[in-house]
Amino acid sequence: MPPPVPRPLGPRSLGPRSFGAVNWRGFHTLYWRGMLRTFKYAWEFLGGPLVFSLLFLAVFVLAAGGQGEMAPGVSLMQFIAPGIVIFSLSHAAFENAGFALLDDKLEGMIGDLLAAPLSPGEILGGYVLSALCSALMVGTLNLGVMALFVDLRLHDLPAIAGFAAAAALLFALIGTLVGLWAERWEHYAMAETFLIMPLGFLSGTFFARGAMPESFQAVVTLNPVFHAVDGFRYGLTGFTEGNLAAAAAILAGLNLGLWLLAWRLFSVGYKVKP
Amino acid sequence: MQPTSLSQRPPTPRLIGPVNWRGLWTLYMKEVRRFLNVFTQTLLAPMITTLLFLAIFTLALGRAVQQIGGVSFAQFLAPGLIMMAMVQNAFANTSSSIVSAKVQGNIVDILMPPLSPWELTLGVVGGGVTRGLLVGLTVGVAMTFVVPVSIHDPLFIVFHAVNASLMLALLGLIGGIWAEKFDHIAAVTNFVITPFSFLSGTFYSIERLPETWHAVALMNPFFYMIDGFRYGFIGHADGSLIVGMLLLLAVNIALWTLAHRMIATGYRLKA
Repeated sequence: MPPPVPRPLGPRSLGPRSFGAVNWRGFHTLYWRGMLRTFKYAWEFLGGPLVFSLLFLAVFVLAAGGQGEMAPGVSLMQFIAPGIVIFSLSHAAFENAGFALLDDKLEGMIGDLLAAPLSPGEILGGYVLSALCSALMVGTLNLGVMALFVDLRLHDLPAIAGFAAAAALLFALIGTLVGLWAERWEHYAMAETFLIMPLGFLSGTFFARGAMPESFQAVVTLNPVFHAVDGFRYGLTGFTEGNLAAAAAILAGLNLGLWLLAWRLFSVGYKVKP
Repeated sequence: MQPTSLSQRPPTPRLIGPVNWRGLWTLYMKEVRRFLNVFTQTLLAPMITTLLFLAIFTLALGRAVQQIGGVSFAQFLAPGLIMMAMVQNAFANTSSSIVSAKVQGNIVDILMPPLSPWELTLGVVGGGVTRGLLVGLTVGVAMTFVVPVSIHDPLFIVFHAVNASLMLALLGLIGGIWAEKFDHIAAVTNFVITPFSFLSGTFYSIERLPETWHAVALMNPFFYMIDGFRYGFIGHADGSLIVGMLLLLAVNIALWTLAHRMIATGYRLKA
């Protein structure tokens, strides 16, 4: 039997790949690159936040001596565990998006991205979606391990998933914006210290809003993380301090606004194109 | 005409006595400038983080824990938080310095000059101790604005601050020499240093711990550095001060010997 004749390279195979309104393959490639980075550093990226979360939980429980309810029918552990999960997944989302984008900028790899046939929306989507998925992995792992120690119920699954995703998206977008704005690692670290840590810590993550001084309560109400934590905690315990519909609206509005801002910045090439 | 006196004197190497003071000072200042250059990350960031910790813990637990060790919860917490910031930064300074020098290859620039192993150890560790103490000072001053800080015995404060920073700077040096990648040192930070600094009595009195863990805590040098440092402020200690000070000194001597030995033999430093 004669060997198969290789098909000659015709003009068809040299032609440009055609795609429709969305360059799905390009988008997926960018998204998957982000995910591969997460898997490569999984030990640090997943293990680090997990250790941090469990330490926080342990330290709180030991310091409080196991006594006291944070709210009627909600134990200390039940109260802070959801807060810690949201904090660590938000931080992971910020880190993943901000780190990736700034690293690409500083190493000059951003050129490969800008030269590729990707629209601003596709580039933004690629960064944000991989950060979002990585953050949800962190959140799921944290929640799963904490459920071994803490009595958590799936009171309202859509609220759990929705508020976790909203928080992850919010911080993935903030991370992208910080990555775009920063010119050095120092800028990134500054944003982390002066924006992310206060947003995450002063949000009712670890204490009830009612336990705070009056003036402080108003500040916390302005913090979007408070609403994400509150909604997420509602999903796990059925206890809420705020208004869930308002919380969902605030987070959705903020995410939409930040998305449009980031999209606009990518379109004009803010600090990305010469 | 006679040639100028310059040509009559061939260049000679600088004479160095038993101690290369200039080299030691240069290395030390390099380590100090390295962190001062990015002081927002190395001094301000620990300050903000520590104040946030203080805020969340007192807000969350201030009502549940009225009195601990004879003082208010915030007064109990403040010295532990200062110590936590100091040790984490002392470790970060030496470990990141050595690992990045190894990864980037400029480690040869500190191995080639006429510096003996103990001068190298002292220069690098001195930078870490300086950062630890400066962070402690910054955090401490910031805390006086929110917590009533009283000083019971300054000698205990200084002794424990210096020895704790020294211990973690030495650990950072040893860890940095051992590590081959940034991942390795990040793993040590995440899985060893952070847990030890969290779980060693910063946030609670170890009398709270179950029997077995209480016994374990009494062998943990991190516990003694926090306990003794806190004694300097509030005049109350959970453990024995003498045992703590002797243990810290012994651990520091052992770690110094190990670090010196690693540098002298060139373990993972010289080919």
